Amino acid sequence: MKAFRFLRPRTLAEASEALRREPGAVPKAGGVDLLDRWKERVEEPEVVVGLCDVTDGAALRLEEDGALVLGALATLADLAGSDLVRRFLPALARAADQAASPQIRHRATLGGNLAQATRCGYWRLRSFPCLLRGASRCPVREPGGVQETAGIFANDPCASAHPSSVAPVLGALGAEILVGGGPEGGRGLAFEALWRAPEPGRSDVLALEPGELIRAVRIPPSAHPVRVGHAEVRQRAAFDWPLVTAAVGLTLDADRIREARVWLGSVAPTPHRARAAEAALTGRRLAEVRATFDGRAAAEGATPLPGTAYKAGLVAVAARRALADALERS
Amino acid sequence: MSEQAAGPTARRVQATWRVNGESVTVAFRPHRTLLEVLREDLGLTGTKHGCELGECGTCTVLLDGEPVLSCLVLGLECEGREIRTVEGLAGPEGPSDLQRAFAELGAAQCGYCTPGFLLVAEHVLAREPRPTRAQLVEELSGNLCRCTGYLKIYEAVERAAQRRAEGAAAEGRHGG
Repeated sequence: MKAFRFLRPRTLAEASEALRREPGAVPKAGGVDLLDRWKERVEEPEVVVGLCDVTDGAALRLEEDGALVLGALATLADLAGSDLVRRFLPALARAADQAASPQIRHRATLGGNLAQATRCGYWRLRSFPCLLRGASRCPVREPGGVQETAGIFANDPCASAHPSSVAPVLGALGAEILVGGGPEGGRGLAFEALWRAPEPGRSDVLALEPGELIRAVRIPPSAHPVRVGHAEVRQRAAFDWPLVTAAVGLTLDADRIREARVWLGSVAPTPHRARAAEAALTGRRLAEVRATFDGRAAAEGATPLPGTAYKAGLVAVAARRALADALERS
Repeated sequence: MSEQAAGPTARRVQATWRVNGESVTVAFRPHRTLLEVLREDLGLTGTKHGCELGECGTCTVLLDGEPVLSCLVLGLECEGREIRTVEGLAGPEGPSDLQRAFAELGAAQCGYCTPGFLLVAEHVLAREPRPTRAQLVEELSGNLCRCTGYLKIYEAVERAAQRRAEGAAAEGRHGG
């Protein structure tokens, strides 16, 4: 690992100030993935803004209006173990509890999970060409490219996949992202506005202004009952990356679905909203979707590569299981 | 906000940690990991250096009581914090109950993964004195062992848990 300067702000505001003052500085919370990347020399920051001393970023709280605000520096173990999260957002607690390993969950943060980079093996090895690191083409898309874990939506020109299994659940909950510290001060972002589409020569995945940090995730209160389910398909039950994650959020009017949110993970360069599946669920009665929803609408618009054709089928399976989870559990 | 400079000729920085109950001040370059400082600067080589990428679990230590991978923590991030390594498990009367159970049941073969398993198991038993087998399998899923097939490790943790429960019951009977 290459040496760096290490700054240690005490507050999120100080951290933002440091990021603005030092172009190219990288914020580090848990940093479990950052350290891998620095050791492999995929990235070599000159300046690291360590968030280890920041005391105002990890709280999990219920607001007076019923909104839940989850500090971005809360760890996945904090989320999984929080009485508040387990009571009001059980699908989120389960998703956080299934990610990675116990040791990693004690370090990995909510903000870092949303900000994490692709698992693409080409991007992660400096000796391979990669569009995001300046090559003219994405080697995953070439004949002979290793494609099994690649994205199947929005996968041209870059077939990377965003691996967060927490993000789809937050999307299904209708979460918004609170960012702060940029030129405009604090602001709220619609969930999907946190990420940007891949661009040649740019490895960062977040649509943040210089100096901005993810401060918190806000789950707005709902006037109607909400049910949220989550399902993940992966090769190993523990300590594995998902092949596909699906989450379904239903806002109910008695037994009718007033609004549906369906989000997928590990299938596109950013968390992916499955709008056709939402349309297939919205306005229907619960008994009807329980009997007829086959999940295939969630794969609408997919453009799989030869090596990822199987993933469209997995998306349907995961969406079906996530719906069943929503109907059974919450 | 403080700053700790680095660079190829970087000066060492000083940090004070509590390691196995003792206050330790140590100087190291700012990008060194907790694993590197424990082994190379403090000579605590019980914490093993495995994959160094967060995949094997053998470098696990307890940081403020929670299991973390010391290869994925910077030494600088541990200022003022409590670190427990495998060297801190044995007491004046010898190996801990968990260590004894591991030895009795052959839960260590080559032994390279053992320190990591012991520390995660300490954490598990501190929170859940009688874990189910399913809980143990999940809680120990971040540690790889290529020798034992895991069964003897689970049995050893269960034996230690049982002895602790019996010990607590005996103390209760004696009013202690």
